[in-house]
Formats: sequence, C-alpha cells, structure tokens
Amino acid sequence: MSQNRLLAVLLGVLAALVLVVGGLSAVLLLGGKSEDSGSGTTTSSGTRTGGGDAKGALRLPGTDPVTLDPHIAGDATSAEYIVEIFGGLVTLSPKLDIEMDLAEKVDISPDGKQYTFTLRADAVFHSGRKVTATDVKYSIERASSKELASPTALAYLGDILGVREHFAGVAKDVKGVQVIDDRHVRFTIDAAKPYFLAKLTYPTAFVVDKSQIESNPRNWSRKPNGTGPYRLMEWRLGERIVLEANAKFHLGTPKLKEVNYLLSGGSALTRFENNELDIANISVNDIDRARDSKSDLNKVYKAWPQFSIAYIAFNNGVPPFDDVAVRRAMGMAIDRKRVAEVTFKNMLQPATGILMPEMPGYTPDDKTLSYNIEAAKAELAKSKYAGKMPPIEISEVGAGAEAGIDTQAFLELWKKIGLTISIRQTDFATFLADQDAGRLQAFNAGWIMDYPDPEDILDVKFHSGSPLNDVGYKNPEVDKLLDAARTEANANRRLDLYRQVEKKILDDAAWLPLYFSQAHVVVKDSVKNWFEPPMVVPRLRFVELAR
Amino acid sequence: MGAYVVRRLLWLPVVLFLVSFGTFALARFGPGDPVSVTAGQVRDPKVLDQIRKDRGLDSNVVVQYVRWLEKAVQGDFGESYLQKGFSVSELIFPRMWISAQLGLIALVIIFAVGIPTGLLAARFAGSWIDPAIIGTLLFLQAIPVLVIIPPLIWLFGVQLDWLPVGGWDGVFDIWWVAGVIAIPIPDPHLYIPLVAFTLPGFVSVARLVRVSALEVNLEDFVRTARAKGLSEAAVQFRHVLPNSLLPLITVVGFALAGVIEGALFVETLLGINGIGRFTFEAVVSRDYDVILATTVIFAAAFVLMNLLAEIAYGFVDPRVRIGSSRG
Repeated sequence: MSQNRLLAVLLGVLAALVLVVGGLSAVLLLGGKSEDSGSGTTTSSGTRTGGGDAKGALRLPGTDPVTLDPHIAGDATSAEYIVEIFGGLVTLSPKLDIEMDLAEKVDISPDGKQYTFTLRADAVFHSGRKVTATDVKYSIERASSKELASPTALAYLGDILGVREHFAGVAKDVKGVQVIDDRHVRFTIDAAKPYFLAKLTYPTAFVVDKSQIESNPRNWSRKPNGTGPYRLMEWRLGERIVLEANAKFHLGTPKLKEVNYLLSGGSALTRFENNELDIANISVNDIDRARDSKSDLNKVYKAWPQFSIAYIAFNNGVPPFDDVAVRRAMGMAIDRKRVAEVTFKNMLQPATGILMPEMPGYTPDDKTLSYNIEAAKAELAKSKYAGKMPPIEISEVGAGAEAGIDTQAFLELWKKIGLTISIRQTDFATFLADQDAGRLQAFNAGWIMDYPDPEDILDVKFHSGSPLNDVGYKNPEVDKLLDAARTEANANRRLDLYRQVEKKILDDAAWLPLYFSQAHVVVKDSVKNWFEPPMVVPRLRFVELAR
Repeated sequence: MGAYVVRRLLWLPVVLFLVSFGTFALARFGPGDPVSVTAGQVRDPKVLDQIRKDRGLDSNVVVQYVRWLEKAVQGDFGESYLQKGFSVSELIFPRMWISAQLGLIALVIIFAVGIPTGLLAARFAGSWIDPAIIGTLLFLQAIPVLVIIPPLIWLFGVQLDWLPVGGWDGVFDIWWVAGVIAIPIPDPHLYIPLVAFTLPGFVSVARLVRVSALEVNLEDFVRTARAKGLSEAAVQFRHVLPNSLLPLITVVGFALAGVIEGALFVETLLGINGIGRFTFEAVVSRDYDVILATTVIFAAAFVLMNLLAEIAYGFVDPRVRIGSSRG
C-alpha cells in the first residue's frame, strides 16, 4: 500500500527530526553543562538573563577579537582584551601617562638612543613563571619576525636597530635588543626619539611566554599565558569571553574579580534595559532618550571624549586636489558645527583642528578654515581649475542608495560655491583595496590614536616619507618641522613644533577635518569608577562592582 | 534504483568541483582581500604585500585553488583570516549546528501547523473559511522578519520581561524536580526566533496541501470511500491526507538543505551566533576559506537532500520509477 508507505516515510522523517534535535540537544546539554557552568550562566542567573553572573561579575557587551596574539593585533577590539591579559615593559595609566609595567625603571642614555630597562623582581606570568630579560628579547624578535608577518611590527618597533633587517628576513636576531642579565635588557634605537616609550605601550611590544608558544604554536593564544591584570578563563566564539582577576598582578590586585563579555544577544542597549548588561553604548537613535532628564537612561548616561578624528581625505596628487585653492575652498564651504548639531545631534564634536582635546599639543581655539561661502567662492576663483573643474567624486563605505547624512549636507553646501560633487559607495573591502591602491580622488576616513603623542598622527599621516601618508601630501617645510620634532628633547619646544605643523597642514587643507568622536555610554549604578578612556588602555582593574 | 543513486552520487564531486572553483575564482578576482580588511588602520602597502606573498595570495588562481583542494579533500578547509588562528571547521560547524537546531524545530512546527490548515482549507473550499485561512497565512508571510522581530523584542523582552531579548542558550533547559527528576523544557531564547521563522512558512505548506487535497478529493477512490459510508474524518485522514502529502516530499528536501544555511536577519536582530550571520560577515570581509567552505557545504547539502527527496518519492509512489526512463 503506497499510502502506508508514505505515512511511514513522513513519520520516519518527523521522528528522525525529533530524535536528532532532541537527542543531540540532550547530549550537548548534559555533556556540555560542565563547560557551561564556567560562568555560572544557567545555575546562578536562571534562564532569563542569557549569560553572565549578575552578582559577582561585570557584564559587558563585546565582539570576538580578531586575535588575542598581541604581536599581530592591529584593531581596537582585539586590543581591548589584549591590554587586560598581557603587558609590556611600560603601560598607559587611565590619564594616559606612561608608567612602568613589567619594568620598574628605565635609564635613558644621554644621547637618547639607549634605553636600559630593569625588570621588576615580582613580575610573573599568569603561570607563576618569572619574566626575564630573555622573554623580552624573544618577544621583540617574535613580533618582528618575517614568519609572523605582523602588520604592525614596523610601525611600532621599527625604530629599534635591526628590526627592519629582521622583518625582511636578512638578520637572524634583532641586534638592538640586548640581554644584560636576567633583570636587565637594553634597547638601542636609530635616533633619539622622545615618543619611543609611548610606542612600547602598544601590544606589538608586549611580552609573551616563549615556552607556551613553542609548545603550542598554533593555538596558544586561545588560552594565553600573559602578565596582565586579568587572565582569560573562557572564550566561546560568538558567545562569551570570561576574564578572571590575576591576584598576583604586580601593580596591585584588581578590584573586579570577574568580567564577562557577552558576545551574542542583539542590541546592547535593549539588553542593558533588560538588566542583562551593566554597560551599553548609546547610538544616535537613542541619544534623545538618554539626554531627556525624565528618562531612566539619563541618570546613568555619560559621554567621554575619544582620541579619534573623522575627516575627508583629499588625494593631494590628483586633479583638482593638487591645487590647494580647491581644497581650501571646499573646507571653507562646510559648516561642520551646524552639521554636527543637526545630523549627529552633537554626539560628535566638530573638529577644531587635527589634535583632539586632551592630546599633548592640543589648543582649544578653532584652527580649521572658517565657514564662509563668499570667501570660499573667492578662493575657488583663484584655482587653476576655475571654470574647468574636473568631476569630483568622494568615496565612502556604504551599501545604501543614499550617502551618509552628513555627506548629503556637505554636498548641498558645496553646491553653493558651484561644485557638483558625486558620492561613490562601495563595501568595506572594495573601499580599502581602492584606498591602498591610491585610486580614490577623495574619501571619508578616520584615524584613532594608538599612543598619546602628536607624532602618531601628524608625522605618521603627513610626513612625505611615511608609508601611511595615503593622501600624497608633500610639504618640505612640514617635513623639516616633523624631522626636528622627532628628536627634540625639550617637551615644550617639541609640542610647539607640532602646533606649527598642525597649522600648516590645516592651511594647506591636506585633510578636511570633520569631527572628534565621543563615547556615549550608559553605566549601571552598581558599577563604580567606570570610565571610557580616549584610547585603549587597561582599565578593568580600577573598576568596582557594588552588588 | 541502486544504480541510479550511485550514478547521481558520482556527479556530486563534479558539482562540488564546479561550485568550489567558481566561488574560489570569483572571490579572488573580486575587489578587496582579507589581508587588507584585517590590517586595521596601520596599513603600510609594502608590508601588506609581503603578508600576501607569505600567505601565497600572490600566486595564480589555479595554483592557489589546487593548494586549497589538496587540503580540502583531506577535510581541512583552511584557516580564517577574520578570526586568526582558528580553523574554518571550528568556526562554521558550531554555528551551523545552532542554525540547524532552530531551523529543524521551525520546520517541524511549520509542517505540524501547515498540513492540517491546508486540509481544512481544502475541506471548506468554496466557503469563506478557505480564503480566510489562506489569506491570514499569506498576510503572515508578507510581514518581513525585519518588521516583526523588533516589536516582539519590545513587547515580550522589554515591556513584559517574559523572554530574553536575544541570544541563544541551547534547545532545552532542565528543571530539576526534588533534585532527581530532570524535566527538559524549551529554553526561553527559542520563542522569538521560532515565531519569526515559522509565521512566514505556514502558507507555502498549507497552500501546497490544499491544492493537492482539492485534486485528491475529486478522485474516484475518495468518492468510493464516501459511497461506502465512511465518516468524513476517516475519509480525510485515511484517504485524502496521505495522497495529498506527496508534493511535500520535494519541499522537505529543499527545506532540510536550507536549515543549515541559517537566516541572516533573524540571527542579526536577535544576536544569535548562527551560520547565516557568520557567512554574511565572511563575505563582507573576504574571509576566503570560510566563504568557500560554507558554499561547498551548502551545495553538497542541496544535492544530497534533493536526491533523498527523489528516492523517497519513488519509494512512496509506485508510479514514479526513478532512473528507469533512461535505462
């Protein structure tokens, strides 16, 4: 009977489905419970909260880091975890001062080229093993090795003698790092550079455990043996990352015992309001609610300045942006204050220059070209392209049928001085490929400071010899000032050089600076001492939980 | 039939070769690459080129493909660029499993609701009940998940606080009674995604069942059954139902292949760590080996499930003799 056969098949399929789902779930549930209980998800917080122990652990939103290997990480997400798990010779304080970490002191030679670090006697890895000068040398050599091919090695370690040769594969070791004895290591750099210590606060210069890496070269960073204030207890891809305080941490035992980053679950603000998270970011859609003094969010809302800048990059090498008059005219025609107010509800601060507030060298006066349509028209008339303007296209990342809301506002303003500009949107990967190849005429871009020194933006992005100068900006005067600032030992004179550089770059309108970012965050009352540093620094050990 | 199945299976490697080579070439020739995407803001073009060289991304596509194929046939799908240090298998299979569980449960519910409503609609063809049922289901299908999920989160998650606002925590929770008896109950994270998955799905099953039930209702054997005095319920369940379900086998085949592909919007809006969202992210960031592995697995699932559906069809319906027509 075909009907019976059919019923048998259908029932079989149904039964198979039920068995597969039910059976495997049961296996996973019973077998996986021990793994689950690591963070006490189901046991202590019940079925409702979806992860995180509400009592003893701080619950933060997060995403998977690209890597936890400090030597190859180049993104802020990865760095946030890495600075808590690992450490280097020096670190940044919450106020962004350079402080000793694994080193207890550094002696700098009179010519400024030799840095002799004395390691702390109590500096140990999470495993309990003492950190020695050999670990430091190994770490620098690993980070700059040809095999690792780290995208950040040359930028952060390139000043050390021998790093470039080692990275190219022509030198077996880095001759500029010398082990003197177990507790002393000497770095020799190519020229006296006051910002060298600042660069060593970046993960590329962090100390890793040679024996762990050599015994498990492929997977060591999943359970890394670092020296930082926290140790990684659990990392379940896309689910959660659990950090536990390192009680033996040499700079003081962290107050916060456990931190759970909950990587799944959707909108962070919704989960915050549903008491599943202790911290959440506020987007432009929710900012009115957060600012409304009658809303619950308002009481826990705070904004912090960030060391990052958004700008429009003009490719100084291609028409019409090879003409300073065109760049200046476009700069004079935009009203960034009004645009920030209307389109971003002032969540971003209109840029007043290139250096952000609280950066060394920052001055509060507005140094950008002031908004003046008539002056912009006059400037444009001076251009060699006046009356025969080639088509202008600004590229940005996006997939929508329309440009970013601020870009649309700018387009209207540029129309007022007679410039019709088109916008080209591509996906992120295509945008980067075009940018790297120098194919873009102008593009929306941003820069996040990696260490709190003006060199990290003014020199790195505008020196004609810098590989990161992606707008082809060349000004011999600026290069001269930058060269002088690189080796100027007097801090005030050095900052003054950078202020002169900033002024010249703004007058040349090499970039069109738009906004400085801010972090807009809501923080539960029970979380004490939370702060959003302007750039990535270790912070969890200063936070306390009162519940 | 055995020979037919073997012949079909022999085609599988050919299909997979074409799919994998096509995907491989498209990804390599398309703009952008994973080295550039994962470099961050410190992007010295010379350093990036050296990394490409070290990873073998500068050799020609055929060489690269052969290198990939050699490993793939041994079950090694390569390594992710976006999640450095993790093999592709480690990244995709757990996520595929999460998506598959959700998808399978949704499928069971869709069939359990869709089949009876389809029969009901056919039974009441000609009256207002039929269009009312189908109309309602069509309406449900027409609401995009993008629209239906936020209000569900707002109502059940935030306002009523009955359900978590997103995430995934397995299919079952266990209630311990007196510490000894374990009662599995569905995990509360399931409800909102299941609603989003099933509401648009009912109508296709219901309509298929309705159409074929209408046809079957006119068949001689149904008239005979009624003539010999069987109750209407017996007629419907013993004669109409089984014969109306034949076309569903094909649907089951496609649907089963579909469950491992996940669902981008549901997974994104509800923060479920499934394969749909992950595949999308891999495409956006050119995570070559992840894209390739998921495409090949989806293709293999599609081919196998269809073959399974065909075999089941032939097994159920004696009129269909698969493979016999071409000897």
